[in-house]
Amino acid sequence: MTALREAIVLPVLFLTVALLGGVRLAADARLVPPTLAALLLGTLLVGAFLRARVLAPEALMHVRRTWLENTSGAVVILTLFAASAQMFNLLTPEQGLLHVIFIVFFGVQLLTTIAAIGERAAMLRSVAVLFGAMFALRFVFLENLYAPGGGLVARLVTAAAEGVTLGALGYTSHAPATGYVGFATLTLYLIGLVLVGQPQPVAAQHATAISTRGEDAPRARQ
Amino acid sequence: MVRVAGLILTAAYSSLIVWLYATQPQTVGEVTGGIASSFGAYGIDARAFDEGLAFFKHDQFVEARAALTRADPALRDARTQFYMAYSYYREGWGRVYSDDALFAKGLEAVDRAIALAPAHRLVVDDADLGMRSADELRAELVRGQTRELSDLNPLKVFRRRK
Repeated sequence: MTALREAIVLPVLFLTVALLGGVRLAADARLVPPTLAALLLGTLLVGAFLRARVLAPEALMHVRRTWLENTSGAVVILTLFAASAQMFNLLTPEQGLLHVIFIVFFGVQLLTTIAAIGERAAMLRSVAVLFGAMFALRFVFLENLYAPGGGLVARLVTAAAEGVTLGALGYTSHAPATGYVGFATLTLYLIGLVLVGQPQPVAAQHATAISTRGEDAPRARQ
Repeated sequence: MVRVAGLILTAAYSSLIVWLYATQPQTVGEVTGGIASSFGAYGIDARAFDEGLAFFKHDQFVEARAALTRADPALRDARTQFYMAYSYYREGWGRVYSDDALFAKGLEAVDRAIALAPAHRLVVDDADLGMRSADELRAELVRGQTRELSDLNPLKVFRRRK
């Protein structure tokens, strides 16, 4: 990874995601900070990235790197965490039963992903599909269903759903601009994930493997 | 060099994000004004303030607030916010009852003024005002929204607007 990408491009990209992830536009503009649940899910997701080598920690922080390089590596990890937490904040309804359902779903899905997926490409695909599907569910389906001035069918469906749950759903719709901001945020986040840990070229991997074997050989003889 | 620049940029950007989330600005003017005031570079539009004051003294409160908002778009000047609150008080004041919605907006404005004033103490030297300190104005606005037995006192109609 180049110094420019590590020190400037990735932190700015992830901080932009952290900023835009909380934007909610309605009659007024609000910036919603991440909930505790979003922070926990963000931690889980960063853990999943580490396990699947989407994020290679030794490429960002290592004893052979200078303190300045290690600091900028730590900044990348911290901003990735902030962006991940804000992605969950963006994709989860703010309150009501739907908030709980979404959080539980994300939690279970992430645990399954951590257990099952150990490859970078598969993890990236999995996260893209998960976030894309939840984005569509929230900003296409739910926002249209709960949009003020919706049709008769939408009103009947929401009234039935609220009735069955004794009014616990409590979904609050936003202006359509929120969805567009959310889409831009999701796109930036996925671009950031692709950029964060480009796989090493085959030649470099080979060189690393030879050097590792060389270091281990004396220990093996002992 | 790139890494040092990156760290400075990241620190500045993350501070801006934290500030935005903490203050929840609603307009671009509030954002730019807030950033300028953090560097001590914010100033109100004196001409718009004078216009607002002139409207205020002629009991044209809606016009006064429009001019005062123009003068202080970032809501960062204590004196302007004081006059804004006072305009809500005078417009909402009534002999029989006060307008709760206007008094509530006045309370928000006077709270902003108190928060912005040095040591949270604001006294405006204006002979036309019945209340010259933000604390007096705040107490009057709170009193106007409180329901109590003395509201039924018929002698209330003889009280005067401050």
